[in-house]
Amino acid sequence: MEFRAGCVVRYLIVSSFVASGYGVTFSSLHKTVVLSASSPKGHGSLSLSLSLSLSLSLSLSLSLSLSLSLTHTHTHLLGVSACSPNLAVLTAGEDELTITWAFNETFPAGIDSSYKTIKVKLCYAPVSQKNRPWRKTVDELNKDKTCQHKIVERPYTPSNNSFTWRIERDVPSASFFVRAYALDSQQVQVAYGQNTDATKVTDLFHVEAITGRHVSIDVASICFSAFSIVSLVGFFYMEKRKAKVVQDK
Amino acid sequence: MPEIEGSPGSSMHGVTGREQVLAFSVASPMVPTDTTAKFDLPVDSEHKAKVFKLFSLAKPHMRTFHLSWLSFFTTFVSTFAAAPLVPIIRDNINLTKSDIGNAGVASVSGSIFSRLVMGAVCDMLGPRYGCAFLIMLSAPTVFCMALVEDASGYIAVRFMIGFSLATFVSCQYWMSTMFNGKIIGLVNGTAAGWGNMGGGATQLLMPVLFEIIKKAGATPFTAWRIAFFIPGLMNVIMGILVLTLGQDLPDGNLGALQKKGDVAKDKFGKVLWYAVTNYRTWIFVLLYGYSMGVELTIDNVIAEYFYDRFDLKLHLAGIVAATFGMANIVARPFGGWTSDFMAKRFGMRGRLWNLWLLQTAGGIFCLCLGLVNSLPLAITFMILFSVGAQAACGATFGIIPFISRRSLGIISGMTGAGGNFGSGLTQLVFFANASFSTAKGLSYMGIMIICCTLPVSLVHFPQWGSMFFPPSNDNVKGSEENYYVSEWTEEEKQKGMHQGSLKFAENSRSERGGKVASVASPTDATTNNNHV
Repeated sequence: MEFRAGCVVRYLIVSSFVASGYGVTFSSLHKTVVLSASSPKGHGSLSLSLSLSLSLSLSLSLSLSLSLSLTHTHTHLLGVSACSPNLAVLTAGEDELTITWAFNETFPAGIDSSYKTIKVKLCYAPVSQKNRPWRKTVDELNKDKTCQHKIVERPYTPSNNSFTWRIERDVPSASFFVRAYALDSQQVQVAYGQNTDATKVTDLFHVEAITGRHVSIDVASICFSAFSIVSLVGFFYMEKRKAKVVQDK
Repeated sequence: MPEIEGSPGSSMHGVTGREQVLAFSVASPMVPTDTTAKFDLPVDSEHKAKVFKLFSLAKPHMRTFHLSWLSFFTTFVSTFAAAPLVPIIRDNINLTKSDIGNAGVASVSGSIFSRLVMGAVCDMLGPRYGCAFLIMLSAPTVFCMALVEDASGYIAVRFMIGFSLATFVSCQYWMSTMFNGKIIGLVNGTAAGWGNMGGGATQLLMPVLFEIIKKAGATPFTAWRIAFFIPGLMNVIMGILVLTLGQDLPDGNLGALQKKGDVAKDKFGKVLWYAVTNYRTWIFVLLYGYSMGVELTIDNVIAEYFYDRFDLKLHLAGIVAATFGMANIVARPFGGWTSDFMAKRFGMRGRLWNLWLLQTAGGIFCLCLGLVNSLPLAITFMILFSVGAQAACGATFGIIPFISRRSLGIISGMTGAGGNFGSGLTQLVFFANASFSTAKGLSYMGIMIICCTLPVSLVHFPQWGSMFFPPSNDNVKGSEENYYVSEWTEEEKQKGMHQGSLKFAENSRSERGGKVASVASPTDATTNNNHV
């Protein structure tokens, strides 16, 4: 199987560009970090798993081979799936995302000397930003609202970085990609890397949020509503009866 | 006497110009006290209170006041409870900007109709049941908010909760059964202002509740749902209090009211006709849409604005937003006071200029609010804007009693509905659109306020003038009697139905301003002569 390695693994390419002072803009950052993200569910479509089941050459039924390919071969899967425009649906609070990142070796060494911390964030894809100005992408990073959920923050090391993140329950239903910012000692962004391309349409994850509803809340809601109506009607009826009794007297 | 005793706006307070402004009591010679009645407060012949004792719970008058404004306050809390929590709700149920804007429109539209119906309900069932029915039947709608999962559910629930704003009508109606007509202006103004405060209180309350519930262990998407139980329970509790502690009339309940039977002696069709054909009614419907209307709009959008634009934490955005609504405690009565103050010197022309100044100032500050980028400046302009808009609301109802004597009730109702309509329209045009930001929306709204306040210059009373024109010199056309009696046909005049209007006309002469009210000059002249 040929994997398009470029789609699977993007090496962190750390730039020597140091942004100083207030108001660093995104366009001034160089993409020197290579980042990849994957989940056990994969980003696959049906056709993807079919090709894998064929390659596995087992004499099992189609459905079984499908499930096998999805659970076992995520590391291989990624090679193909990352470029597919189809999204996997991850459930908040249950599914996990594994993120790996490293310094892009193609850049000259020493560029990363100013990097002290790596901050990995979950960012909204353009399709989820439409008609929602509170998620707007703005070049000035202090005002940028694209990446609102922090995944992890770690001291910077050039390679062997990996983190498995269970998607938190306050993540909304939307399409996301993962971006890592390299920060210097003043906590100012100096470089970045992301698992999607510049147009932010490939390698996206779709998260299905929790509803936040619980059976206990539903029951309480119905009980209180019923109490309100019953007590109102009961009161009205009782007063009417009292008035009638007085009148009869 | 066909005069509807004690109906909203029948207050003669301030009309002669010699009464103490913002009187808390009615002096005995003006209205005789009924000494046989055993109430905590001095009452008139109908057993309506002549004194407004704010910090008393005396049964039944002051108790009614507190039950009444608290019910109105509760419905404001429930109607705008979602607004400060929108930053959480929009992520939970995946709302777009248009969804949020449409929900805001829906929350104020329902009461346009419910306020019109509420008057009839109060007539039929009495204000006590009118109020209780409304808040206890809207409690389930508040509880339903905990169940919504998508945009359409959210909009539908906010629409249904919004019906409860009709407690404004039951509140004012109930006050007029309990308080003498001469102090009803202040009583109603205080009740309305304090009720409107609920829109501010909710911006404080809901984020705090949300934080507490989150700290107790709930995830954000569950915590906001649980938070809605508090407004819902407030509705239920207030409803029960109103039913158990309240009474329709000073002497008792519904039965007595029905015996009176003759609450409306006038024909509804006629009253409606004189309201609708008076052009001033429509100008004030428009104007109130841009004082009360923008107040309701801001209640819906301001917390989210501070959260998004200035990156404030949710409860801090709530605190800032709350100061807008809470300003009602003094701002609305202030507007009424400035109206009376200007009327002493300049009469009705002073009232009109006062209204224009306050409302236009509000508009200018709203424009600035949308333009500034710094938080302290934004808060400053927001507070100035709130004082301007809310004082304009108070000033509006300083003029409305003079538009018509016969159709006062309907004009007040139409004006109130105009406020809600203005709010719905403004939210639809400026805040439901993704094409411009909330900041731009605020600025455009400010410009719209300034433009829509200009028509007040067209309001002309032949007997008092208008902003730019003096009163008519004609002896007949320029008299108050002619203006108010023209609402009755010859037939009706022969029946003597216009007597109330005549009396009102005579008392309203103080709206001519300084020439009538001042009596100082003759005394000064004699003193000078003595010196010489």
